[in-house]
Amino acid sequence: MGEGAPLTTAALAHVVVSGLATGSIYALMALSLVIIYNATRTLNFAQGEMLMISTFVGWTALQLLRAPLLVALLVAVVAAALLAWVLERTIIRRAISATHFDVLIITLGLSLMLRSAAGLLWTHDEFPFPSFFGSRPLGVGAVRVAPASLGIIGASLALMLALGALFRWTRLGRAMRAVAQNQRAARLMGISVERVYSASWILAAAVGAVAGVLIAPVVFLSSQMGLVAINGFTAAVLGGFGSMPGAVVGGMVLGVLENLAPLYLPASIKHSVPFLVMITILIVRPGGLFGRVAPRKV
Amino acid sequence: MRAAALGSGAVVVLGWPWAAPRYFVFLASLIAINAIVAIGLNLLTGYTNQLSFGHAGFLAIGAYAAAILTIRAPLVPLPATLLAAGLVTAAMGLALGVPCLRLEGLYLAMATLAFGFVVVEAILNLDWLTRGNDGLRVPAARIGPWALTTDTSRYYVVVTVAALLILAARNITRTRTGRALLAVRESEIAAQASGVHLAAYKTLAFVVSAFYTGVAGGLFALVVGFLSPDSFDVFLSVDFVAMIIVGGLGSILGSVMGAAVITTLNDSLAGFQSYRPLVFGAILIVSMLFMPGGIASALHKIQPRQGDRA
Repeated sequence: MGEGAPLTTAALAHVVVSGLATGSIYALMALSLVIIYNATRTLNFAQGEMLMISTFVGWTALQLLRAPLLVALLVAVVAAALLAWVLERTIIRRAISATHFDVLIITLGLSLMLRSAAGLLWTHDEFPFPSFFGSRPLGVGAVRVAPASLGIIGASLALMLALGALFRWTRLGRAMRAVAQNQRAARLMGISVERVYSASWILAAAVGAVAGVLIAPVVFLSSQMGLVAINGFTAAVLGGFGSMPGAVVGGMVLGVLENLAPLYLPASIKHSVPFLVMITILIVRPGGLFGRVAPRKV
Repeated sequence: MRAAALGSGAVVVLGWPWAAPRYFVFLASLIAINAIVAIGLNLLTGYTNQLSFGHAGFLAIGAYAAAILTIRAPLVPLPATLLAAGLVTAAMGLALGVPCLRLEGLYLAMATLAFGFVVVEAILNLDWLTRGNDGLRVPAARIGPWALTTDTSRYYVVVTVAALLILAARNITRTRTGRALLAVRESEIAAQASGVHLAAYKTLAFVVSAFYTGVAGGLFALVVGFLSPDSFDVFLSVDFVAMIIVGGLGSILGSVMGAAVITTLNDSLAGFQSYRPLVFGAILIVSMLFMPGGIASALHKIQPRQGDRA
């Protein structure tokens, strides 16, 4: 499919569905960035590397224990939660009173260290990762869809609904929303803000681990796969940073855009699409597609 | 005391090529180049609180501008080439800085990060001009009748330019402009209320920062002699940020020391590539947690200020 080639509806549908699948992963990444941002008002640069490490741990469980894939997923989620808890308690918590700038630099340092550690432990090679889903394309009329795409979309949507329920109906979810709205008021209401910090890091890392296990069969498992976090950030900005529904929609839009762009633009531009989208959206509408820019306090 | 320190420093810098082996002359040139970038970045980040992860992109623009000018117009003298590299990059800084006025904090960091990626992609795609992935060999530059073919001659050029730019930066920071920039860092709204034209000064910081980095890029092309897009990846931008964090935000002297520390460290870890990011990450975290003002403020604490002495 080159430039200007006529595109059948079926082929277009295929491109859009696989775009939605990539987009679901971006949405999960965006959600995990937003969860931490809402609690602590900082961006976690190491989010992608935490995803990568936990996926590697899950993969190691597969290799060593010959465990089924579902066990690997659980191992990855537990590893992610542990890693997040340790990092938050030992490093991030010390800097929480500092400026956002400091925490940003610290998470940047963490991302460098985690990637390097992964390279030392598991080398910088690419490894195949088994998938939950078959490889025979499913046909719906003339439209052919990869089961992996549908599976990723379905699993991500299920996780997003679970997150939504958690934020809406559980005590922890209410506490997290309260801290996001006004930290001081939340503290005065008896919410332990520190516990919310830890919970946010753990929750975000767990979401990232699921995203990692879902995407690893598609992009291969490697120490570089953490770079997906940049697209997650773009997705979150697209939907208005801080908004969870915005993060989901932003992820989907970005995934579809990225898959459609090579059909209409030179193929070499594909890698720049997320960055061009990010620069454009930041410059034209810094509040995101649906968001508003919050008024600044002195 | 101060004069003695400055004097002995000058003697070391000028005598370096005669005392040190050839490779260390090259390394010292790299330190001076990185110091220029670090000062430029510090004027932006340390003085107006605008964090940039895209300075490798600016360095690339300056380097390629200088290299292409040297190839296409061999007769242009080196100072003009360097000036052109700085001005081209400053124009890019203006083009990026004006729209970025609306952004702050992590949004600006991410926008500049994206800018760095786009510059590398652009170099890869404009291969008729940049030779893309094959890389660009830079011919020896000339000053009048002299061709700069030795490491020593290039070292003196780099050190001269660095000295001029350090002096200029000190002048900028000690005048009304520098105080306005610092006011922007402390509180944008308070600065604006005191009559500081916010947009003008933030843009000025971007343009000056890009100019410094562009000139450094021109010197990089001169000293290294070979350019390829992968020398300007995002990790180089991270190195520059590490320099000003380690050296001290908002300090010219700190920028120079940070550049020296990080460049030397980079070089000594060259044989241990897989441990390099581990060490750098640890340095960033440790200096943020335990030495927030960098080397510059640590020195201030050790050495009492002139007014403090009896």
